[in-house]
Amino acid sequence: MSRASLTYLYGLTRATAALPDEPGIGERPLRMLRLGNVGAVVSDVPAAEFAEEALRGHLEDLAWLERVARRHDAVVQACHRAGVAMPLRLATIYVDDRSAEQRLGDIAEEAEQTLDRLDGCDEWGVKVFESSGGARAPVPADTDAPTSGAEYLRRRQAEMMRSGDAAAAAAAEAESVYRALAQHAVDDVKHRPQDPRLAGRREAMLLNAAFLVRRTDAHAFRAAAAELAAQRRDDSIVLTGPWAPYSFAGTAV
Amino acid sequence: MTSPAHRAAASPMTGRPEPAGLADVLERVLDKGMVIAGDIRINLLDIELLTIKIRLLIASVDKAREMGIDWWEHDPTLSVGERDLAAENRQLRTRIAELERRSNGSAQLNGAAEREESRE
Repeated sequence: MSRASLTYLYGLTRATAALPDEPGIGERPLRMLRLGNVGAVVSDVPAAEFAEEALRGHLEDLAWLERVARRHDAVVQACHRAGVAMPLRLATIYVDDRSAEQRLGDIAEEAEQTLDRLDGCDEWGVKVFESSGGARAPVPADTDAPTSGAEYLRRRQAEMMRSGDAAAAAAAEAESVYRALAQHAVDDVKHRPQDPRLAGRREAMLLNAAFLVRRTDAHAFRAAAAELAAQRRDDSIVLTGPWAPYSFAGTAV
Repeated sequence: MTSPAHRAAASPMTGRPEPAGLADVLERVLDKGMVIAGDIRINLLDIELLTIKIRLLIASVDKAREMGIDWWEHDPTLSVGERDLAAENRQLRTRIAELERRSNGSAQLNGAAEREESRE
């Protein structure tokens, strides 16, 4: 356990791909481990920082986490731009190259199929927020005080039905945005909506989706997104990308 | 902040519109990328907790940093084990059930009071 450095994996790519011109974490140079047709883009990381216990502590340090996450992402995106990349989750770490190669041997065949599926595609993120002027506008009614308990309950019920309808309508609208954009994508997935505060907003996030889009279809996809955004006449649809295909890289192997 | 949809649409197709938001980057690198077992393990439960915590945290982190606040570094919920979580979960359920029982009769009256206040 006295190793000074560990092998950190960023993503998988084709063995024939060129290494991107990017430094790895801590400015260490990138290297490629090759197994058959699959290459793993790796760099050394210091054991003092990335061994199990140290890592656990560092993950709770947001400044450290941001630095490592942004470098991880920069390398993955560069691999993606250079060819096709299968992003790996942050902090996929092996004790040495041999151990990483052993594991890669187990999954090389499946990884190759995934790379074929992802080739030529980008991931686009689409978030739909509650429309600022629309569905949840305050209902102008019953401005006088209720005259009885029964009257209060009647109003309360009506109000709940109205807000229920509004929520259902907003959800249906978000769903129609999702379906419309999915027509231009080869794959699509809904993620858990984020806390809207992360985007600096007050409106609820109704949809947090990712789409796998062929580069040849990207223009049509973005035009469709722009048109949907224009229909809503506000900034309630937010497009991010192009991303490396994080959301379509597959799950545990 | 203008509409990011417009920013993205105005940018060249292969370049990034602008540095992605930290929340979006973390969402992807922590939650999404492919998982292959490494020799150094981050427990999936840790990742889950970390992600939830970060979602709540990032919105205010710049401000927090300015103020020199670093409570997340010492927050036990980021490093508790599974057993502690289960115990905490049970405790919370019990408390919720109790609160629901207690507030059952008075909820509607409270609702009426709030409604009146919000009109002022």
